[in-house]
Amino acid sequence: MKTIKVAVAGNPNSGKSTLINAIAGTNLYVGNWPGVTVEKKTATFKVDDLTIDLVDLPGTYSLSPYTQEEIIARDFIVKEKPDIIIDVVDSTNLERNLYLAIQLLELGIPVVVALNIYDEAKKKGYEINTNAMEQLLGIKVVPTVATRKEGIKELLQAIKEIADSPDKFRPRILNYGADVENALKIIENGIRQSRKELIEIYPIRWLCLKLLEEDERVLKETGFTGEEEFLKKAKSHILKAQEEDIESMLAEIRYGIAHGITQEVLRKKDVARIDLTQKIDKIVLNRYLGIPIFLAIMWLAFKLAFDFSQPFSDWIDGLISGPIKRWATVGLNALNSPEWLVSLVTDGIITGVGAVLVFVPLIGIIMFLMTLLEGSGYMARAAFVMDRLMHFIGLHGKSFIPLVLGFGCNVPSIYATRVLETERDRKLTAMICPPISCGARLPVYVLFIGAFFTANGATVLWSLYILGIIMGIVVGFILKNTLFKGPTPPFIMELPPYRIPTLRDLRIHTWQKLKHFLIKAGTFIFASSIVFWFLLNTPYGVEKENSYLGKIGQTVSPVFEPLGFGNWQATSALITGVIAKEVVVTTMAEIYVPEKKEEKEQPAFSEEIKNIFAGFVSAVGEAFYNVFSRFGISAWETEEQPEELQNKLQTVFTPLSAYAFLVFVLLYLPCLTFAFTLRAEFGWKTLGWVLIIYLILPWITAFVVYQGGRLLGLE
Amino acid sequence: MKLSELKVGQKAKILSIKTKGIIKRRLMDMGVLDGEPIIVEKVAPLGDPIDIVVKNYHLSLRKSEAEKIEVEVMQ
Repeated sequence: MKTIKVAVAGNPNSGKSTLINAIAGTNLYVGNWPGVTVEKKTATFKVDDLTIDLVDLPGTYSLSPYTQEEIIARDFIVKEKPDIIIDVVDSTNLERNLYLAIQLLELGIPVVVALNIYDEAKKKGYEINTNAMEQLLGIKVVPTVATRKEGIKELLQAIKEIADSPDKFRPRILNYGADVENALKIIENGIRQSRKELIEIYPIRWLCLKLLEEDERVLKETGFTGEEEFLKKAKSHILKAQEEDIESMLAEIRYGIAHGITQEVLRKKDVARIDLTQKIDKIVLNRYLGIPIFLAIMWLAFKLAFDFSQPFSDWIDGLISGPIKRWATVGLNALNSPEWLVSLVTDGIITGVGAVLVFVPLIGIIMFLMTLLEGSGYMARAAFVMDRLMHFIGLHGKSFIPLVLGFGCNVPSIYATRVLETERDRKLTAMICPPISCGARLPVYVLFIGAFFTANGATVLWSLYILGIIMGIVVGFILKNTLFKGPTPPFIMELPPYRIPTLRDLRIHTWQKLKHFLIKAGTFIFASSIVFWFLLNTPYGVEKENSYLGKIGQTVSPVFEPLGFGNWQATSALITGVIAKEVVVTTMAEIYVPEKKEEKEQPAFSEEIKNIFAGFVSAVGEAFYNVFSRFGISAWETEEQPEELQNKLQTVFTPLSAYAFLVFVLLYLPCLTFAFTLRAEFGWKTLGWVLIIYLILPWITAFVVYQGGRLLGLE
Repeated sequence: MKLSELKVGQKAKILSIKTKGIIKRRLMDMGVLDGEPIIVEKVAPLGDPIDIVVKNYHLSLRKSEAEKIEVEVMQ
């Protein structure tokens, strides 16, 4: 029984992800690389009597450590020393992909090249001589079509063969030219004389190359300064012959070899084919149509996501707050449980589960659409089209997409930031999502507009949305110059050809994100809703004013005095509104117009089951109906507001303080689900910053609105 | 001439990259090397970034980066 570690490397867009899915399928475990938010996929499986630990490395173009992805990929290969590297190569783009392969060969680890997307290459009239390639590089080469699972068996067979006799498959040492080879010899001798222990840690040829390149990370790790005699001697040797810097020279040498090999192994038959990608891009990236098409696609994705998921979310919500709560109540009553326990189970625990589950349809559909846009190659175009605008706040063109989704719900925005390559961009984008006014804030707006601004409701509503966008830009601008100081990463991005993603990929990626949400964010959301139950209901049975929540409300309320709503009722509503913003309305209703308890009739069990199924069927129907027959976006419609509550509000708020309150609701702390999803994705520190920003920002803004309004004599 | 000054459809040969550090390395890793032929394929609707074809694939980069690349127009 033998276990080997296999790393999968490759360029972005080489079909690496599809290949991994084809090899490991649902066996894949997805986590993050320690300390960073880059996806780490691993899988363990058996081929005959061989156990394979598969680790997917982030897609990279080279092993020079500049981006997070490259650092991860390189550190893993150099330090964890996998037994074999699978290098996924896009057959239609051989030369550039071989540039990475050549760098992998420098490590001396056996490499298997998966000549992926082989079908497209053949269609283009390319013929790749795999035998010649194996000879030239001294490695195994296997043609694959990951989308159709072709070549997977052969690939695994090759891995087995190498595992049996690894020494037979040591890659060939490619000659980098007399000057470089001489320099490398000098460095190797120098290391052997002064720092022998390094030979055990690093692949020697690779180490020498990196020292020659003056790679900062390697210098730091090894403790070399670059000023050692032998290093100086090696470098002066080359620099005499060359004017350029050594790093550029090596890049040229490696590309030269890649070019040479491509010439040797690739035959292009002249197949006159009209490039479909180019044809589509003529329209999609057109000067006049580009932006309208982008907006149309965004609108469609938005509509699909929110219209389609809403009936299912409603159904889940109805199921949990209806039959399931009723059954739990009946069951607990039958066991003679005390009233508080019934309330804890139904209003605390079951509601907590519900809070997590109602998001599942939405996140599922959005992740599905994101994977579709990403896999098809459109996402890169979206970035291309929108980059100019987003560059303004120091962001990448792709950041536009999570922000747009935020108008429906900020939570899936966090997951949507995964389309961005760098961690900086992902964090910055996620952190400016909260002021994008999501659907859950609408019920609060509607309640207050109904009570105070019936004459100019639309203007008030729009002003809030626009204020949110402006605040997002302001926060983005401030963050760019503080927390995320430093140069904006360059926008040097491949526009990959259009491809149709496989259903397998869509399914696997969607499920992975959902699982992540359920486990990582779900546990915290669930726990917090129980904590909130205690705040609201203890001591049990007292008036709301005397509950812990009421007490906290009374303590905190002076803070809101300068904003115009310094009473405990509004404060308590804001506190519970952290669970979800629409809860502000429910809490206000509970405080101002307490519901009279009424005994509801218990439907029969069989009747209830029938209703649940009927409800699901009609949700399916409604979902399709929403998508196909309605033009507008129906998402998160609001219910009728009780007049009684609005009348009450008119006695407590003035129009000005009501508007200040709405501004505060718009900008203050994101909901629990957002908070814990953010934490799951980026960690406590990022969450901490978000909490600080969105406590200070709304206070200042509402203060300016209220006091400014008073100065203008609006009250 | 600078890469950023080329018109859509113009073919050129790269002479040199006039920058250092990350950006130069990144460009070289993507195959933007001295002597490499390129074509400017498109300009984004808002005027930036641009899309060039290099080594047979499409690469998009901002004008601020393209400004640092010296080219020579090819006929």
